[in-house]
Amino acid sequence: MAVQTPAHHAAPARSAPTPGWARWANRHMKWLFAGPAMAFVAVLIIFPVGWTVYLSLTDAEGSVRADKSFIGLGNYLDVLTDTDRFWPAVGRTVAFTGVALLFEVVLGMAVALLLWKPFRGEKWVRAAILLPLVATPVAVGMMWRLILDPNIGFANQALGWFGIGPQPWLSGQKTALMTTAMIDVWQWTPMVVLILLAGLTSLPEEPHEAALVDGTTGWQRFRYVTLPMLMPTVIVAILLRGIDAIKTFDILYATKGKGGGSFHEVETLNVYAYGLSFDYNEYGIASAVLVIFFLIIVGSMWVLTARRKEDS
Amino acid sequence: MSRKRTPYSVFRVVALVVVVLALIGPLVWMVLASFKTTVDIYDAGKAIFFTPTLDHYAKVLKQANYVQYIVNSFWVAFASTVISSILGVPAAYSMSRFSMRRSSLVVLMARVIPGVSLLVPWFYVFSNLHLVGGYTVLILSHMFVALPLIVYIMMGFFDSLPLELEEAARVDGLTAIGAFRRITLPLSLPGIATGGILAFIFSWNNFMFALVLSGAQTKTLPVAIFNFVGYASIDWGGLMAAATVVTLPIIVIALFTQKYIVSGLTAGATKG
Amino acid sequence: MAAALAATTALGLTACGGSDSGDSADSKTVRVTLANHVWTENIKKALPEFEKSSGLKVEITQLGEDQLSDQYNVKLNAGSSDLDVMMYRPLQEGKLFAKNKYLADLTDKVTSAKDWNWDDFQDGPVGATTFKDKVVGVPLITEQEVLYYRKDLLKKAGIAQPPQTLDELKADAAKIAQQNPGIAGFVARTGKSAAVTQFSSFLYSMGGDFIDDSGKAAINTDAAKKAYALYGGLIKNYGPKNVSTDMSWPEAMAIFTQGKAAFYTEADSLYANATDPAKSKVSDTVGFAPFPAGPAGSKPYNVPSWALGINEQSKNKDNAWKFIKWATSKEMVLANQKAGVPGARQSVWENPEGTATYPKDLAAAIAVSTKNGVGHDRPLVIKVPEAREIVGQPIVDAITGQDVAASAEKAQQAFQALLDDENK
Repeated sequence: MAVQTPAHHAAPARSAPTPGWARWANRHMKWLFAGPAMAFVAVLIIFPVGWTVYLSLTDAEGSVRADKSFIGLGNYLDVLTDTDRFWPAVGRTVAFTGVALLFEVVLGMAVALLLWKPFRGEKWVRAAILLPLVATPVAVGMMWRLILDPNIGFANQALGWFGIGPQPWLSGQKTALMTTAMIDVWQWTPMVVLILLAGLTSLPEEPHEAALVDGTTGWQRFRYVTLPMLMPTVIVAILLRGIDAIKTFDILYATKGKGGGSFHEVETLNVYAYGLSFDYNEYGIASAVLVIFFLIIVGSMWVLTARRKEDS
Repeated sequence: MSRKRTPYSVFRVVALVVVVLALIGPLVWMVLASFKTTVDIYDAGKAIFFTPTLDHYAKVLKQANYVQYIVNSFWVAFASTVISSILGVPAAYSMSRFSMRRSSLVVLMARVIPGVSLLVPWFYVFSNLHLVGGYTVLILSHMFVALPLIVYIMMGFFDSLPLELEEAARVDGLTAIGAFRRITLPLSLPGIATGGILAFIFSWNNFMFALVLSGAQTKTLPVAIFNFVGYASIDWGGLMAAATVVTLPIIVIALFTQKYIVSGLTAGATKG
Repeated sequence: MAAALAATTALGLTACGGSDSGDSADSKTVRVTLANHVWTENIKKALPEFEKSSGLKVEITQLGEDQLSDQYNVKLNAGSSDLDVMMYRPLQEGKLFAKNKYLADLTDKVTSAKDWNWDDFQDGPVGATTFKDKVVGVPLITEQEVLYYRKDLLKKAGIAQPPQTLDELKADAAKIAQQNPGIAGFVARTGKSAAVTQFSSFLYSMGGDFIDDSGKAAINTDAAKKAYALYGGLIKNYGPKNVSTDMSWPEAMAIFTQGKAAFYTEADSLYANATDPAKSKVSDTVGFAPFPAGPAGSKPYNVPSWALGINEQSKNKDNAWKFIKWATSKEMVLANQKAGVPGARQSVWENPEGTATYPKDLAAAIAVSTKNGVGHDRPLVIKVPEAREIVGQPIVDAITGQDVAASAEKAQQAFQALLDDENK
């Protein structure tokens, strides 16, 4: 549909002169091609962003069409001094993202090294790796809810075989956030594996062979040869995963519902902003939280990409 | 490091088995549970061996109108993928050939914005444009995910495509657009397939936009299974059947298009 | 190429238009948004006859409670006209919706429909669907809290009758939990927000309320602290093992209907979940009793849990009203009540047929509750969701064994701040 295969290959040289509009089109091809997509994104982004910034400076609540008055930076002040919900949500966002990324990168690296050399049946293993990351996150959340159910779930049964008592998992005030992070790890480690594998297979072979001749151990080779060469790819993996992990919503909402549980135990910034908008109708405060959230995301990305530029 | 098969070592076999089990086990568990009676789900002794039942599927597909949701999910994913490709492929080409790095950032910005901040304003605008009520809003919102993805993947693809062919075509008298249409586009089919399949998957799995923007007739599968929890009581069997119905099509698609998905997800990862 | 692009895009979009937004005045299609509820299932079955007799087409959107409020928020905020009839919770969204002018004024419509008989609706529910002397909704479903219990377990424990007081409830729950390992003596909702409504009857029966007569927050009174400690303690000490603090009624009901609990306090409108053999393992041994009495007597809530309203922006108000009139007619309310959904029409309650299908003990329990009932089951404020989370915090703190008194004091401050903010 999007692609027309040419009726005949390579047109004859200098055929009929091109009509005027086509000449114009060719001269402006750059913007003609890029324009529509940019316009689409711009229209869909600029208005909401402007609107969000505007709302964040007002006391809008209840309804966005209700009367609202301009209150300057009042919402930001309220939010940044809110140690009850906002800062814990920032803490949870950082903890969730950090823990998930750490495990994903470490485990992803281990699995990628495991699959680096070809072996019999690797096709099957690679197919298996793909499944979690294409599975629908909401369904994944439901699936883990059953497996981790404290009373009937398989997870606690399995622990029982090793003589470990039942864990509360998702229903524990202290364990819920890390449990959701582990679900994220299950779902997204494969993506890190794929990225790192692509990186590994594109590495030059000489340094490794030289190191092999020098009689180094496997760990030394990894530490001093492979890892430094792979670092740019690791950074890319962290960047790509980080953007999505920090905005995780589906799994949290599907496992704990509104407000991230009774103690807000999995209420990250995204879940909090959603609740403020759609549960509390506090549009002004929600917008302020969203603006701050956006700045946090862009800030952490900027730090990472700056590192990347230095490295390359 | 020549690519020859290495012999299995015991450690490696064990490690591989653990990895595969950890990744596949939960999904298998979900599918098994969807065939168990509710009583068997509560019975630890019936973990693997039980008498399968199709009741949950019958209930999900009959009672809950799931066929409609499957169609909705498919249609929204398909339409948003196609339109995004039409907009995204030329844009990526232009951005790649003319090194429009700054412009490409505008499109990639869409990946960074938290979705929550878009929902209310979008709805406000669309309802004033009288676009709400059908699939339009859903398709547009899903394009918001699909388009940046396709642009990102295709830019990487065009960056790696040699210029010589286009230049030769230009010497033969083709215009710039003509060269793109007759030479580059046919060559970029694998890239378009990659971007398209990934965009389709991400749209199929999308939850937040549809949660708020879909109506009764346009509800997509993820929202439908989320709603399932509100029914009567926690009906684990039915829930797992619903979850399987959502997940299975996408897994089948993924297995058949493995190569594309891998190349798409790793696009641009190995550029220094 | 550009033209082609634009054309395809436009085509693509219009082709995906789906249903148009039907802005023609008085369209024949009425768009109705309903919650997942037994009532909705019944109405859907009866719909064809209404469509035939009225010549209208009814398009039903059915959503879970959470998603319902999300959708209302977005759509009503945007001034969307593609909702005609809305099923809403007068005590949850009522004040907010009325304040935002989302609900059309139905006063003329209800008073002019003579044979439909607005006077037949009970005063309490009507009060909740009236805002500044304007009627904005028609009460649909009423709810009272009752005690669900297991006759077989009581018999086994040698307990002759269901508990009459909250002290007896505690003693009985303790006895049964001790006798039957693996079975909880007591279960109820545990989710911070979800539990508030069911906790309210405990609060009133202990002699407290969320807000006192002078409009001040009152959740740190002795009565309130005792109620928090009692409700939380029952679940902590005699509740299910590894109890989750996220349970709303589906999860709590599941524990009871799986045969894993002896006592359960819950809204009577959900009773069919426990008596239906297809859904419940204990359908033949479940009993119902009035809410046990505290120091202030037995004071369960008696509230209109759902109502039907018309969207102020709807272009189809007259046809929307036709639907509401039919759905809340005497015949439909009676049919629904027979199917287990308590309505708000006095005449149906007085009609023996109205309670004929109810278990006898349930009908008796409801009769008691409607007499002593309190007309709200949550704080009556505009920002109900926030208020529920604040007053619900001590409940979950009590369940997890934290200091209830300190938690109630903290909640009191937050709740008072919310009240002050609203009364500015």
